[in-house]
Amino acid sequence: MKKALLSLLATAAISTTAYDASAQTQTDARVAVAITETISGYNPYADPVVLLSNVWCQVYGCVTRYDFDRNEFVPYLAETVQSVDPLTWEIRLPEGAKRHNGEPVLAQDIVHSIDYLGKNPSSGKSYLVAGWSKVEAIDDRTVRITTATPDATVPDNLAGVAVTSKALYDQMGEAMFKDAPFGAGPYKLDEVSIGEHIVISRNDGHPMLSPNNPTQIMYRIMPEPEQRVTALANGEVQIAQSVPPQLMARVADMPNAQIATTNSVEMMFLAMSPKTHPWDRKEARQAVAHAINREAIVRAILQGQADLLNGPVSAGQIGHDPEFTGTYDYNPEKARELLQSAGLEGVEVTLSTPVGRYTADRQITEAMVPMLEAAGFKVTLDTPEWATLWANVQQGKVPFYYMGRGSMIDPSRALHQYFATGGSPRIGFSDPELDTLLAAERAEFDPAARDEKMQAAVRYLVDAAPAAFMWQHKMAWGVSKEISFQPRPADQVNGWEVFVN
Amino acid sequence: MLLYSTRRLAGAIPVLIVVAAVVFTLMQFAPGDAVSMLISDEASDADKARIREAWGLDDPPLMQFLNFLGNAVTGDFGTSFKYKMPVMELVLERLPATIELALAATLVAVAIGIPLGVLAAARPGSLWDSLASTFSFAGISMPNFWIGILLILLFAGHWHLLPSGGRAPWGMGVEPITGFLLLDTLIQGRLDAFWGALKHLALPALVLGTNMTGIITQLTRASVQEALHEDYVMTARAKGLGGMRILWRHAFRNALVGVVTIIGLEFGALLSGAMIVETVFAWPGIGSLLIQGISSRDYPLIIGLVLIYTAIFILVNLLIDLLYTLIDPRIRIN
Repeated sequence: MKKALLSLLATAAISTTAYDASAQTQTDARVAVAITETISGYNPYADPVVLLSNVWCQVYGCVTRYDFDRNEFVPYLAETVQSVDPLTWEIRLPEGAKRHNGEPVLAQDIVHSIDYLGKNPSSGKSYLVAGWSKVEAIDDRTVRITTATPDATVPDNLAGVAVTSKALYDQMGEAMFKDAPFGAGPYKLDEVSIGEHIVISRNDGHPMLSPNNPTQIMYRIMPEPEQRVTALANGEVQIAQSVPPQLMARVADMPNAQIATTNSVEMMFLAMSPKTHPWDRKEARQAVAHAINREAIVRAILQGQADLLNGPVSAGQIGHDPEFTGTYDYNPEKARELLQSAGLEGVEVTLSTPVGRYTADRQITEAMVPMLEAAGFKVTLDTPEWATLWANVQQGKVPFYYMGRGSMIDPSRALHQYFATGGSPRIGFSDPELDTLLAAERAEFDPAARDEKMQAAVRYLVDAAPAAFMWQHKMAWGVSKEISFQPRPADQVNGWEVFVN
Repeated sequence: MLLYSTRRLAGAIPVLIVVAAVVFTLMQFAPGDAVSMLISDEASDADKARIREAWGLDDPPLMQFLNFLGNAVTGDFGTSFKYKMPVMELVLERLPATIELALAATLVAVAIGIPLGVLAAARPGSLWDSLASTFSFAGISMPNFWIGILLILLFAGHWHLLPSGGRAPWGMGVEPITGFLLLDTLIQGRLDAFWGALKHLALPALVLGTNMTGIITQLTRASVQEALHEDYVMTARAKGLGGMRILWRHAFRNALVGVVTIIGLEFGALLSGAMIVETVFAWPGIGSLLIQGISSRDYPLIIGLVLIYTAIFILVNLLIDLLYTLIDPRIRIN
């Protein structure tokens, strides 16, 4: 009798244990993320900022996303995204895709979203769909995009297309974004407080989610780095974006948090507009590249938290050639020789820099001034307020400036923007040879061949030197020990990549 | 009093028009192009022209200003370039936070500054007098963004006593009724939420009120000291009245007009100081909204907010003037 009872109890214990192990309990933990950028509002198309764009992708579902583990763009909301011919891309939605309110996601929604992006005055991302001559729904699940020229970067652009409901927009207009923000993403929109925070909550049952992904995520705006770090120490937030080098040790010493670093996909560079003397002379541009002691700046000012660039791209990005070590070593004598050969020794230039926009931007450019002067330039450092500088850069009015360009998962768009003829007025560089090389890489659909063509464009670009490429910052994030989160090179905090311990 | 108030408010209208004109003109001369904030520079010229037309930026500046004035009369300050929302909606959403912060800072300043100033005036040359002077000069001299970061480090980072920023704990679950969080929590009987909101308000209010505390301390001390040398105080002493009664009911009461005046004037300075404090503490008020608007060249938002600030300043000064009649019965509105 006793034996039977024990056996029964043992069986019950095993069954219970087995049941507990197999039925993973979904966490109800919430995670707060301290971010630097402000929140523009409810409109997912208004804000080109990467982190917030990514939040909207989690809510609405974007057509594609970049998979950093596979190093390629993969479908996100879509089932497949493929090139049918050099001028045509086809997007196929999965069968039965539904929004948070139960309504189906249709091809017409993608067409509507692209149309809104391209034409609505409230859209801040029209550049994503420029060059697409036709977008049409073939049936309820299929969309065809016809491009004006062969364009291999369409998947990159589709990663910024949040798919909103055409039916709801036709019914409610702009009010839809606030009153009916129903998407098909792994998270739902809970609350937006303009300039304060945005809260999203789990869309239970979504295939991308695991039981230990947070039940809610709050993205809190905290522009001051001290405040972000203190909030992390206090347990008010579990992830702090962008910990500057001087605060990393403090986070590392915290009992409840640690530093997690990642490379960024943002190139930092000195731009030189050939429309303005002396930057119309290649010797002057190459002299700048030789004049800057980048190792010293990274060591002393950035405390080692940056990787030097030999061109606009680094390891892992399309167009990176590990054999290509660049042609510009730190050589002030060579820089001076170049200036002398062009009769430019002593030429006066003004270096413009943002202040507080990038890590130690003012300190870095202050360090650059004596380096440039040692090479023979006479330098004035200009530190305008960001909005002023940015407006002038966008209009091509700043001949020489320190800047960063992010979102370079696929570098093609950035390179066309800055260095192709008519890309934008920011540098005003124009070289038909480079234009041909950039057009060739964009039109190449085979990844290996495209990589080679991009490498060719990069080599040419580095030699022409309309910009002196400096480094990519290593981005440090503060992460609570209560969660597991590995930041990605692009500023993204996806709920399905955050795990509550 | 009603007639006086009406006349004062009517007189504010030309002030607001002039302020709007000045701000609008300054925006026209500000470097950069508003269109560059609305659309990427990669956009085609045709797209830029389309955006310029859609936002009314292709109209002559005078026409833009007159359109703005015409709409402003109905409370429509246009649509924010950055947030793509009506400016008035944004302002109404954020204004209670700033007023709550400003009122709390004023309360802090009055609660500390007046007793300290009176104490210093009552004991001239004493240790209290020296401490009050030192404290008030420190409060006036130290920049509030520096004090803010220091207090965040101490109270939040080191002692973990108070939150580092924001207005409320996450998931407080309080329905916005008035928009004033402390009031809303009390209305809904949520003492736990009241306490949470108070903890969030404490540091920013203390920081914002520091400068005003210093000024009130100094002015109270000087005014009360002056009052204590008046003949009526000598008479009161001769009549055998106690020291505290003379100090508070006679000297302080007569000094109050000056103190109230400075509070009214400083409230305006407080509102502008709130811009920095709101940014440091991530406080979601109109101050940080204005900073973001300036950074984004968001012209409708900037003009709308400056007009709101101006209107608040005018209203506060009117209230101060009306308050005089309560403080000093000899003062009549005419």
